[in-house]
Amino acid sequence: MTSKKGFCPETEMLVEFSAGVLGPAESICVSAHLHFCSKCREALLQLDQLGAKLLGEGEGEPSGKTSFEEVLSKIEFADEDVKMQSEPSDEKQVVFAPVVDRLMKHNLKSLKWKKLSSSVEMAQLETGQNVFEVSLHKICAGGKAPVHDHQGLEYTVVLKGSFSDERSVYREGDFILREPGQPHQPIGAQNGECICLSAQSAPIKLTGPFGFLMNKWLQIHPS
Amino acid sequence: MSANGSGAPKARSSKRTDKLSLLLTAVGNQDKAAFEELFKHFSPLIRSFSQANQHEGSYPGLHEDLVQEVMIKIWQKAGKFDPEKASATTWIYTVARNCRIDMLRRKSNTQHLPLENEDYWQETDENTPSSLLQQKRSEDKLHAAMDRLPHEQKEILRKVYIEGKSHSETSQELGVPLGTVKSRVRLALHKMQIFVPFDQQDGLIYD
Ligand SMILES: [Zn+2]
Repeated sequence: MTSKKGFCPETEMLVEFSAGVLGPAESICVSAHLHFCSKCREALLQLDQLGAKLLGEGEGEPSGKTSFEEVLSKIEFADEDVKMQSEPSDEKQVVFAPVVDRLMKHNLKSLKWKKLSSSVEMAQLETGQNVFEVSLHKICAGGKAPVHDHQGLEYTVVLKGSFSDERSVYREGDFILREPGQPHQPIGAQNGECICLSAQSAPIKLTGPFGFLMNKWLQIHPS
Repeated sequence: MSANGSGAPKARSSKRTDKLSLLLTAVGNQDKAAFEELFKHFSPLIRSFSQANQHEGSYPGLHEDLVQEVMIKIWQKAGKFDPEKASATTWIYTVARNCRIDMLRRKSNTQHLPLENEDYWQETDENTPSSLLQQKRSEDKLHAAMDRLPHEQKEILRKVYIEGKSHSETSQELGVPLGTVKSRVRLALHKMQIFVPFDQQDGLIYD
């Protein structure tokens, strides 16, 4: 595949992201993809315009307790807080994608890499939810991950380098959804290591020869 | 098309001049009278925006809390509003959406969430005058097309965007198959000329 055509999240996901309905782990994956994909960013802008139009033409519920004076008085308090925290300078260099960088607190050393096999390492990310395990996976150049399947959903976003499996080659920014019953074997590109963001909703089931051993390592540890 | 065609009349600006955008700009300059007008316009909308949401984490006083939190955020951040990039309603929609999802998550989650919803968004770089103008035009088109959407399509969009329901919750509630919900959304987006890249991939992902 030589085309620049990338893999993007399905339409429903972008719509739910724009509507603020998508769960935190899925939102992290979509956000990471957006960093790389201007087409999805463009669509998202329009989806937000759609949400705004729906909000604006709502009937509105005029009767409520909140008075303008109340809001004004709270603002005076809140203003103090804002001054205290003052804007963090957001000009940091992007390492992976802004959302991932924030999760690792802009510090590569905060990642605790664990070896899963001779060619695959994994570092968990704290996301404050336990529906999905969110982590970074690193495959060394030319490294082969074991063939495995998932009992739940797995979202993957390539953050650096590229990898391939039976179906395709995946490059930076590509967004991949695996459903149960789609065993796959990621292979890192020859020209350098590949780092992916991954969100998994249930334990991985290994189908390869080292299945027994790997299953133990790949158990999901929601954080 | 070319940006430097000397004799051509100047392309119209993407700057929004509707009343709400002018008000929000004034709020950015700490204008309290303008803020009061915005409050009158948006607080009923924000209230119904959260009342419609019956999600986990929702509680009886949520809508008043949301009105307050959104209005406070608007005051604090209005200085960053740029009418060339967005209309006031779109800008306020994103603030309200982020506040609502954060409030619901805080209430339904016992764990500390390291990110606020606005952390998922990043400043876009599609800010050249021509792309901004294009965005403004697509917004105008979208508005016109939305007024002509069939009820069954618009109803679903309202469930998702205003009531905060996922596609599958919407399908259960309306007693319509999930596939139908999804295809109605796609049809509606198509009519509004919102082209989501996934739909341009011809099923590439799943072979
Ligand atoms: Zn995309």
